[in-house]
Amino acid sequence: MSFFNEIGDMFYKTFIYENRYLYFLDGLKNTLIIALLAVIIGIVLGMVISLIKDYNKETKHLKVLTKICDFYVYIIRGTPVLLQLMILYYVVFKSIDIPILLVGILTFGLNSAAYVSEIIRSGILSIGDGQKEAAKTLGLSYFQTMRYIIFPQVLRSMLPALGNEFITLLKDTSVAGYIGIVELLKASDIVSSRTYDYFFPLIVSALIYLFFTFLLVRLMRMLERKLNHVRS
Amino acid sequence: MYEVKKLVKKFGKVEVLKKIDLVVENGEKIVIIGPSGSGKSTLLRCLGRLEKATSGKINFCDKDINKISKTHEIGMVFQSFNLFENLTVLENITLAPIKTKLMNKETAIEKAKDYLKKIKLDDKENAYPADLSGGQKQRVAIIRALMTDPKVILFDEPTSALDREMIEEVLNLMEEVAKSGITMIVVTHELNFAYNFATKIIFMDDGKILESGSPQELFNNPQTERLKEFLKN
Ligand SMILES: Nc1ncnc2c1ncn2[C@@H]1O[C@H](COP(=O)(O)OP(=O)(O)OP(=O)(O)O)[C@@H](O)[C@H]1O
Ligand SMILES: [Mg+2]
Repeated sequence: MSFFNEIGDMFYKTFIYENRYLYFLDGLKNTLIIALLAVIIGIVLGMVISLIKDYNKETKHLKVLTKICDFYVYIIRGTPVLLQLMILYYVVFKSIDIPILLVGILTFGLNSAAYVSEIIRSGILSIGDGQKEAAKTLGLSYFQTMRYIIFPQVLRSMLPALGNEFITLLKDTSVAGYIGIVELLKASDIVSSRTYDYFFPLIVSALIYLFFTFLLVRLMRMLERKLNHVRS
Repeated sequence: MYEVKKLVKKFGKVEVLKKIDLVVENGEKIVIIGPSGSGKSTLLRCLGRLEKATSGKINFCDKDINKISKTHEIGMVFQSFNLFENLTVLENITLAPIKTKLMNKETAIEKAKDYLKKIKLDDKENAYPADLSGGQKQRVAIIRALMTDPKVILFDEPTSALDREMIEEVLNLMEEVAKSGITMIVVTHELNFAYNFATKIIFMDDGKILESGSPQELFNNPQTERLKEFLKN
């Protein structure tokens, strides 16, 4: 049998036979769902955390909440995401009937929030106090200042970091297979166990991850250019 | 307008303002001078509610300054302009009056355009701060402060970040603003300007007001060694 026949045979076994391509599609779907929803949770919750911390810095209010946020960020950044996933799955939601995909989304969302909050916080710091003070003397409230002045600038300058966070997240979801979520890597694993071949499914998964990170990098560049264009 | 009694401000253990007493009448143009680190900015920031007094009292229009709700009644102009970088000139000027519901959008824009015309920057209304010169930025910052009809405007070294040729345009605008009768308190190193502009000059040194009086009194007949020394430089 020639080399090409072998490749064709492997391709057939990996994708066509028993409609195995559906595993990859399903895995990809779950990977994208987890990454996308997690990044949304991450940005929203990350903003809330950074707002609480910044509000505390400005006004000295919300002391307890700030301490909780600090602790939260400390824990998340100090432990592996797989461990967080296992704690949520095997401990927190042990006796609660909840779709396993949701556990994944929650874990990665909560994990991402800690990192995003730090990204936003350093963004707020980099803008400095001058514009905040000007806003204050003009009668704008803290939240108006954040909404109309600080956050638009933070998001613009943090876009590359946020893009990186999304890319990291997309790849990190691959550990979700550990608790039985069929994401892309797990899907290729399942197919491998049927075909007794690791090479082909793994290469295909790698190419799919690469394709989407490439897409994301492109998207971020476009967004950045657009924002810079608006500005000057 | 202002009544300051035994104002003390500490940063940690460092006492930066040491029992300042000060009365500012309506319409006065006060210039604060003094060596670096003497507490001029800190005093101004206390008057502008950006710093809280450690002890003592500041009354603004007969009310405790911490209890007044209308923050926009005290305008402030900073050395570093502090324009909102993400907003156009027109947006910079109209954001606060619109969002604080001081006026509706149409009125705010109309008023802003009038001001911009007066300072000959009407062709820059859609420019971003990054595209303006320092002098232009500061003039925009000044009319931004004027938009909310404050009772007093505090200037902290408004020309210190500017090149010589731009200092003039900002000082001219300040003199123009002064004509409206508004109360102004200015920290500056421009002594010539101070001499012609001020109704009263305050000399600060080491967290205290050492001398105060008319420009003639202070500049022509300084009482303390510290002021004599300061004026020599
Ligand atoms: N936020 C702060 N924290 C700690 N110390 C401060 C703070 N702000 C000012 N100081 C200190 O207070 C003193 C007075 O500062 P201030 O800025 O009021 O002086 P200044 O008269 O405005 O000086 P300059 O002419 O250089 O602007 C300085 O010794 C300064 O280091
Ligand atoms: Mg100063």
